[in-house]
Amino acid sequence: MLTHFGATAESLGKASTMAFRIGTDAHLYDDPDDVSIAPLLDSKFDSEKCEALKRLLALIAQGFDVSNYFPQVVKNVASQSLEVKKLVYLYLLHYAEKRPNEALLSINYFQKDLGDPNPLVRAWALRTMAGIRLHVIAPLVLVAVGKCARDPSVYVRKCAATALPKLHDLRLEEHTAAIEEIVGMLLKDNSPGVVGAAAAAFASICPNNFSLIGRNYKRLCETLPDVEEWGQIVLIGILLRYVIAKHGLVGESLMLSSDTLEKPNTEKEDSEPHLAIRKPLTAPTLTYIADIISRSYLEGPDKYLSQLGNVNRDSLGLDGSCVTSAKSNDDVKILLQCTSPLLWSFNSAVVLAAAGVHWIMAPKEDILKIVKPLLFLLRSSSSSKYVVLCNIQVFAKAMPSLFSPYFEDFFISSFDSYQIKTLKLEILSSIATYSSISSIFQEFQDYIRDPDRRLAADTVAAMGLCAQRLPDVAKTCLEGLLFLALSESSNRDAASLGEEEIVLVQVIKSIMAIIKQDPPSHEKALVLHLFDEIGKLYAMAGIVSKRFLVMEIVKHDEIGWMVIVHLVRRLDSMCAPAARAMVIWMMGEYCNIGSLISKMIPTVVKYLARRFTLEAVETKLQIINACVKVLLRANVEDMSELQITVGYVLELAKSDLKYDVRDRARVLKNFLSHCVGLYDLEKVKDQTEFKDLTYVLAEYIFGGQTKVPSEPFSYRFYLPGSLSQIVLHAAPGYEPLPEPCSLVDDEDGHSLSHMQGTITGGVRVTDSEPNNIDDSDAMSGSLDEENTSDYSSRGSDSGSSGDGGNYNNASDSDENEEADTLISLSDGAPASRNNTEASVVNSSSGLMGFGELMSKKSLESWLNENPGSTQNSSDVDHGQRSLARISIKDIGQLVKPKSYTLLDPANGNGLSVDYRFSSEVSSISPQLVCLQVSFRNSSTEPMSNILFSEEESNQGSDSSDKSVSSSERISHGEVAKLVSMEEIGSLDPGQTTNRMLQVRFEHHLLPLKLVLSFNGRKQAVKLRPDIGYFIKPLPMDIETFSKKESQLPGMFEYVRRCIFTDHISQLNVKEDHSMMKDNFLLICEKLALKMLSNANLFLVSVEMPVAANLNDLSGLCLRFSGEILSNSIPCLITLTLKGTCCEPLEVSVKMNCEETVFGLNLLNRIVIFLAEPFP
Amino acid sequence: MLQCIFLLSDSGEVMLEKQLTGHRVDRSICAWFWDQIITQGDSLKSVPVIASPTHYLFQVVREGITFLACTQVEMPPLMAVECLLLSLSRHCEAMLWVADVLSDYLDGLNEDLIKDNFVIVYELLDEMIDNGIPLTTEPNILREMIAPPNIVSKVLSVVTGNTSNMSNTLPGATSSCVPWRKTDLKHTSNDVYVDLVEEMDATINRFPVLNPLIFSFMLRDGTLVKCEIYGEVQVNSHLSGLPDLTLSFANPSVLNDVRVKKLKNTPIYVKPQLTSDAGTCRISVLVGIRNDPGKPIDSITVQFQLPPCVTSSDLSSNYGAVNVLADKTCSWTIGRIPKDKAPSMSGTLVLETGVERLHVFPTFQVGFRIMGVALSGLKIDKLDLLNLPSRPYKGFRALTRAGEFQVRS
Repeated sequence: MLTHFGATAESLGKASTMAFRIGTDAHLYDDPDDVSIAPLLDSKFDSEKCEALKRLLALIAQGFDVSNYFPQVVKNVASQSLEVKKLVYLYLLHYAEKRPNEALLSINYFQKDLGDPNPLVRAWALRTMAGIRLHVIAPLVLVAVGKCARDPSVYVRKCAATALPKLHDLRLEEHTAAIEEIVGMLLKDNSPGVVGAAAAAFASICPNNFSLIGRNYKRLCETLPDVEEWGQIVLIGILLRYVIAKHGLVGESLMLSSDTLEKPNTEKEDSEPHLAIRKPLTAPTLTYIADIISRSYLEGPDKYLSQLGNVNRDSLGLDGSCVTSAKSNDDVKILLQCTSPLLWSFNSAVVLAAAGVHWIMAPKEDILKIVKPLLFLLRSSSSSKYVVLCNIQVFAKAMPSLFSPYFEDFFISSFDSYQIKTLKLEILSSIATYSSISSIFQEFQDYIRDPDRRLAADTVAAMGLCAQRLPDVAKTCLEGLLFLALSESSNRDAASLGEEEIVLVQVIKSIMAIIKQDPPSHEKALVLHLFDEIGKLYAMAGIVSKRFLVMEIVKHDEIGWMVIVHLVRRLDSMCAPAARAMVIWMMGEYCNIGSLISKMIPTVVKYLARRFTLEAVETKLQIINACVKVLLRANVEDMSELQITVGYVLELAKSDLKYDVRDRARVLKNFLSHCVGLYDLEKVKDQTEFKDLTYVLAEYIFGGQTKVPSEPFSYRFYLPGSLSQIVLHAAPGYEPLPEPCSLVDDEDGHSLSHMQGTITGGVRVTDSEPNNIDDSDAMSGSLDEENTSDYSSRGSDSGSSGDGGNYNNASDSDENEEADTLISLSDGAPASRNNTEASVVNSSSGLMGFGELMSKKSLESWLNENPGSTQNSSDVDHGQRSLARISIKDIGQLVKPKSYTLLDPANGNGLSVDYRFSSEVSSISPQLVCLQVSFRNSSTEPMSNILFSEEESNQGSDSSDKSVSSSERISHGEVAKLVSMEEIGSLDPGQTTNRMLQVRFEHHLLPLKLVLSFNGRKQAVKLRPDIGYFIKPLPMDIETFSKKESQLPGMFEYVRRCIFTDHISQLNVKEDHSMMKDNFLLICEKLALKMLSNANLFLVSVEMPVAANLNDLSGLCLRFSGEILSNSIPCLITLTLKGTCCEPLEVSVKMNCEETVFGLNLLNRIVIFLAEPFP
Repeated sequence: MLQCIFLLSDSGEVMLEKQLTGHRVDRSICAWFWDQIITQGDSLKSVPVIASPTHYLFQVVREGITFLACTQVEMPPLMAVECLLLSLSRHCEAMLWVADVLSDYLDGLNEDLIKDNFVIVYELLDEMIDNGIPLTTEPNILREMIAPPNIVSKVLSVVTGNTSNMSNTLPGATSSCVPWRKTDLKHTSNDVYVDLVEEMDATINRFPVLNPLIFSFMLRDGTLVKCEIYGEVQVNSHLSGLPDLTLSFANPSVLNDVRVKKLKNTPIYVKPQLTSDAGTCRISVLVGIRNDPGKPIDSITVQFQLPPCVTSSDLSSNYGAVNVLADKTCSWTIGRIPKDKAPSMSGTLVLETGVERLHVFPTFQVGFRIMGVALSGLKIDKLDLLNLPSRPYKGFRALTRAGEFQVRS
């Protein structure tokens, strides 16, 4: 009744709501397209425009694509009404990426708005302009940002700071320096608000450019309290990283506590770690965890876990050299001082960030400071409570003493969500002490009675953990758990509910864990006591006859494993197979401990044999195991009886339905036939050396190894407050702390580089003759070679077989210095030879002229043949061959990898260094990527001794090698990152020289730092990797391709879409004097060229759509293949086009690759460069 | 940085999507999310951070509306969860609190309010977050930039057809070092009210417990496991300009680390009793005043979750209304305890067939409110005001209400 009334009340409420929706935008949301929007957009009145825009916004909100209104909306940017402007901006930002060309139309208005007297208008214009993400206008935006960074309005400067990451996101290598300069400028701003935004920009643009921070460190610390809370979070992180990079870790802090307390740490790890665990709350265990934590923070746990086996502390750089002191170091002191008040911030994220700093940097005795603020955060909303608890959990594990006095704060409340409850339980079990354990256990009892059985099971698990941490309470725990097990299993009615089982299983699991770790003997009194209590319990529960108990108690005169005995006795009433299996395991494992168990064993085995066929597979397997164990350790008098029973069980098992059971039965039967035979033998001559191998094996497998398996620390530690700590894996973009002392001061850096210069200054004079012609020749020659070898075998037509030589001749004889012209000329040669209507080579631009050089005849034949190709296999062959000839043979030489600036003349005293990725594959190691580096001396004086070397800081050499496992390090020797380049002896003014460089990037996204030495000075440079060159072409034909593709479905396949626009400009140029059909070809060629110029791939095939409409490109499909350099895993890429010739094409890029992360990154890269407009 | 924010209704419908960066997030992620909610049940609703195959999702649920934010890269989760989404949802709530007149009809934030004011929500989101990083979150500034809807402006908009809610000028506070206050604030009234709001958290054990762990019977009748008070000072000021206010307490020693106060007793008692036999369970709950705080206790409610093995219930009370909801939540609204009788609720619960006795016991969540009393005993001494042209009217008030007040049966 009542609920019914509630429903009516609700609908009444709804009705009244309807009445009050008048005057809002409700009607716009409900029926956004009930009027025609287009005329409204063109209206003269702002209010009508507004309405139209709101309707569009409503459609966006509801997930409709309204990008077709783009041109009309863009016009309204010019409106004077701020509301219209805002709405247009909202629309623009939503669709700009989709309609880049139209978005360009708005740039002029933005430029105008940037000069507006109203700061709001300036700020909005800047935000939107930066937000539309077009490469073309990036230089304009950069200028605008630079201007706005000096704006008198704080708000505009703040927007300038937030615009920087957007610019950076476009990956404009050439502007990086300018962007970083603006960041530096904004960090110096007087307004705290701007500093906060600048900090966020710094963190996303150049998080490791610590020199920017170093200059302002003190001032940043001082402004920290005034910065907005969001800025505070980021800034705290930046300052922490800076201090660690500059001064290293604090000697008195938790991170280094293991050094001071326990030096021979590595030994302890090897020797029995379970011993350390058994002694709870002692320093070694805790320092061990602290040690793991500090290492995880510095290296990231993934790296750390991978080398868990052979840890060498010295490699960490944690040794004395880069340790500082919180008391003597001013920078550390200031950081701790300025973050202390933030511990009481209103914003919990700030509190957590500040707590993280203290956790890492503060001396151990001062860490207490963070406890109360953290506990106070538990008063906040449940979402943040969860995050805070996740972090407290780590703190509590490493330093239980911090939180142990506050155990009451972690008592569970019925208002908490399940996740929070489990976290609290875990924390409770890790902070329990002997003084608090009794209250905690009392609480636990209440949790066990909770209606949520998952919680009850978790509580039981927590009890097990407590008992393992505090061995003195183990027996209390055991008794409690036993009682639980007995009462749970007696709850037969409840056991029918699946939920009850989880509790029981967990109870048995905890019992098992406790028993495992107990020493195999107890004091008598304890056991007696145990008996007593069990007796009482039994009597109370009325489960067991008193007579039996008395008998047992009287009989017991030595250690009895009563727990097991009782559990075994209750077997009958336990339903959960997992629980049964565990009890049986315990019985088998401890069958010869104490007289009581061994006495009951024959009966129990008989009982199990009788029940065998009714059991679940899990239990059956345990029964077989237990049988063998029992037999191996049986007394002589029981032997014959047991043998019969076990034989019976094995016979049953051999004809079981499940092959697992059958197999095990057979194996064990074999074992037994040996062992049992030997048993008599051994009895006769006890000390004999003669032991059958099988027997040893059996003993080894089933023997009494009650040793606790050394528990590997399954914890993964990430920096406090990070997302990774919550999801327990390194999220993309997660960066561990920088290497301690990796930052050297400017003056230090100079002296250091000087020193290195003298060391590496081995003179190896090379001739200064080679210039770019030679080098490009060598490169293109190799390229060509590769191509001919690939394709001639596939039977391309005779004309192309001569290409290689022809091309080489052409390029040799050619004296033109422009590389691209050179290629186009050579390109023209084969084409014109084939071509009946040989056209004149257009030498102004090889790319433009290319389309005209194509044989129209072959093209036409290909186009005509293609429709038939689906039916006839020979036709397919033919069609593909002609395709291959068109797109690969010729494109191969058009490929021109993009060139990046490594050093510009302004920074390098006139030396400019450019590099481009080469498609060559290193012969030394698959880890290496080949680069072609060109040096140009644009100064007026000659330069000498130009050489690259690996970056080496004073302590850094060890740590930089960290990632390389020891074996690899040996094989690579000292040149792990860089295969030493031939030094350039001298470089005259104006001269250009090329060199091949082979480098190993540690990561396919992170830049590699190198040191470029020339003229005796050193310059740190960054090589940015291009994931497109971490692969090499993998030649295959279309059949292999589709076969491979079908093997990599599902999670190995990812698709992304982008817009391809390169062809438009060219189509427009040549529209007048070429036939429509050429457009297909041109687009194919453009696409393939773009792909091959940006990634080292093999073009497998190009498939044409069979479309009636010649202008419709939809269905055109290009396939590429490559294999990852480092592990030879193939990557298959399929490009499918959609759209018409003269418009932006929608390209869907599909990647099939086993290496998911690499594949995704490569896919992203492809999408980015495909969408990039042609320069 | 956050890439996208979705607002989902309680049926999983995407009401609004706002892309924050150039890296678009497809709304199919919402479908994935909702699938997970449906398959994994409500327990997922309380996990603030979820790792989906493509994105990390942060969720905050307010009034049935799920705020879902997506990111692909590392960022402080609390920044996203707590601060961003909460302040966002709080803000939307505040924004969408239409005039006071309407607030009686509308519950702060609901689906319709979001839909009705979607333009404002969009404008707000755009102003609050730029490129995934918070830009302006100070409510004071936002209010000036984007006018909250109110009844007057609505009527005006109907009459005049002018619907603009964007301000044409940049609020002065953006450049001030006190961003939470307008630079030239003027109030017609000159008064300031200080409320001391306290919340009492308590956990009380009620049932005689057999304690197998320490092997003795213990009667833990009414044992206070935990009892704490958490207080907040709320100030409602209508003072003009930028005055300095200093609040001092008469007995600051009560404060334990400016944190929480531990107490020995609670103002009211709740005595639940459950006895079960032969498939039925008899339940009775008594509520009464234990320590009279000197002021009336009102808004008393008792709420508990029926154990899953209960199939049907028949509950009645001698005072107040008992209501059993579909999700087996039973709530008993008492209000103020009458003079003449002690409120009690009793009834029987029918257990599932096969279950003889109840072996799990519900926890009773209690709510109450006491006006005019700060149970911690904390007293405000005085409020000093400096830098103010005329003497304002000062008002003080105290209030205690139940926080996490639970009684275990």
